[in-house]
Amino acid sequence: MTRPWFRWLPAALVPAALAAAALAGSYQAGAATSLPHKTAEEVIAMIGRADVHALSGTLQQSSDLGLPQLPSAGPKATQGPASVMELLSGSHTVRVYLDGPAKARFQVMDMLAERDLVRNGSDLWLYNSADNTAAHMTAPAEPARTAAPHATPAPGLTTPDAVARHFLAAVGPTTDVTVGDGTTVAGRTAYQLVIKPRTTGTLVDSVTVAVDSATGLPLGVDVRARDHAAAAFSIAFSDVTLSAPDAALFNFTPPRGAAVEEKATPQLHGLPGKSGQPPPVKAPAVRPTVTGTGWDAVVALPPGTVPADVRSAPMLAQLTQPVAGGRALTTSLVTVLMLDDGRVFAGMVPLERLQAVAAAR
Amino acid sequence: MTGAPDARPSSSWSLMASELSVLFRRLRTWAMLLALAAIPLLIAAAVKLSSHPVAPGRGPPFLDRITQNGLFVAVTAMTVSVPLFLPLTVGVVAGDTVAGEANLGTLRYLLVAPAGRVRLLLIKYVSAAAFCLAATLTVAAAGALAGVALFPVGPVTLLSGDTVGVGESLVRSLLIAAYIAVSLLGLSAIGLAISTFTDVPVGAMAATVVLSVVSQVADNLPQLEWLHPWLFSHYWLGFADLLRQPVSWTSFGNNALLQAAYIVAAGALAYGRFTSKDVLS
Repeated sequence: MTRPWFRWLPAALVPAALAAAALAGSYQAGAATSLPHKTAEEVIAMIGRADVHALSGTLQQSSDLGLPQLPSAGPKATQGPASVMELLSGSHTVRVYLDGPAKARFQVMDMLAERDLVRNGSDLWLYNSADNTAAHMTAPAEPARTAAPHATPAPGLTTPDAVARHFLAAVGPTTDVTVGDGTTVAGRTAYQLVIKPRTTGTLVDSVTVAVDSATGLPLGVDVRARDHAAAAFSIAFSDVTLSAPDAALFNFTPPRGAAVEEKATPQLHGLPGKSGQPPPVKAPAVRPTVTGTGWDAVVALPPGTVPADVRSAPMLAQLTQPVAGGRALTTSLVTVLMLDDGRVFAGMVPLERLQAVAAAR
Repeated sequence: MTGAPDARPSSSWSLMASELSVLFRRLRTWAMLLALAAIPLLIAAAVKLSSHPVAPGRGPPFLDRITQNGLFVAVTAMTVSVPLFLPLTVGVVAGDTVAGEANLGTLRYLLVAPAGRVRLLLIKYVSAAAFCLAATLTVAAAGALAGVALFPVGPVTLLSGDTVGVGESLVRSLLIAAYIAVSLLGLSAIGLAISTFTDVPVGAMAATVVLSVVSQVADNLPQLEWLHPWLFSHYWLGFADLLRQPVSWTSFGNNALLQAAYIVAAGALAYGRFTSKDVLS
């Protein structure tokens, strides 16, 4: 007891040691790794050759699109169309299981609840534990082999693979593609492909794709918007196993007591990588027209494509702001202009460009 | 009890046994366990006697499932008790550990043995941890019994929409109880550390309970997002991950790691204070 201060040493050292351990852990996770040199073309070719059909993993998805804050807690936030908006804002942990092109399961892990999407062949189930409801759809048995093989009818549920392919499709003469430092994602070494639009007419500043060095599978995508420090949208595996998941996971039977709704066959569409894209339009009798090419292209929908009940939804009024001749939804990545005459313009461009395109027609 | 490598292990064990028997023979301990057991009973009775079926999404999570399956009473009760009732009782027990003895004037008698202070701290902490487990199991067991008595019992629907049998659902209930007991270990260590700083047990109890509330409030403030993973209450509601199919163990592991860090840090603080203070009472 001659030196009582000596006994306080652990109280000072232990928190310091814990902080050091935590810092070392996070430093190691983001440490650059050295990989054999590859050119951008070789890395893109790796993604094209990627032959991963079965995997199970956990995705961390977060969006910072500058949308007005919507209530993210409570069952109301995860029901109906609000569910889609909820998925496109804030942070989510999603477990994903894929086995071949026709079997997929997504589990959105909410606080004390879960939203599930199960696809097994032509059967497609949506389940929400918050209100114990299930919806069943019958999809075409053999989906068209498009760029996104795991298309789902729920915008916001996607994989880094689908997002990366969406942005790679835009790669052309208007784009700079470089390979950055090697990195580690979900414990796997990965090349970083940096896609940078040359034009200043788009809201997208850069897209970074982490490509698994062994298989070519995109493991994570970060989309940065102009004049924003944080990523506007990011999706990445926090863990991934490249083997077939338990087949029982894809056999979904709605639980006893759940309200089951039979829905019409959905239009399976390749998931948009850029979140915040307008929801799928019903019965597109008229094809949308595209003005421009590449990053500052503007999609125009003729009147009548977007139903009136969608246009007058109160949530839309909450999200949009009035502009001359209509309403506009502005996010850090995507802008949508809805004119009073029914025409809708959208693109990864500032509002002024949409208005200019609208005025020119 | 590797932390007490003295020449008389038998005396450590007997001290441990006497400490536990003192704790579980106290009227206060039983009163708290009975109050905890009343939570699932109250929930089950309220749902049973109510004439309106509970609409999904109303009231506490899982409440609407109870009428279909009594096994959800335990889960609902545990969900309801985690934010306040369990931290309250754990705060009372942990805050009383050292300060209570000091207040009664019995602390110096416990410290007559040489090198006894570290051992006493460890014994006090183990008894507080035993209460964490007893409290959680009380809620789970009372909930299971009330559910079986009042409602039909059958296969249980998990959060993922998949269904498991009664046996596996009981295993998962026990896992949830274990998860919550582990969740409370950090708070117990904090209560023990606070308890070494005062001779007034009520002060230590109140401070521990207030800290648990402050931690949960901070966890709900988006402005403090950088702080969230460091709050001891951050993973308290993560037990729902045990109700997914397949079970997600990530939050269980993260929670255990976080609680271990709090035990070591608060334990070091308690050690510094308790071994350097003059015990006069």
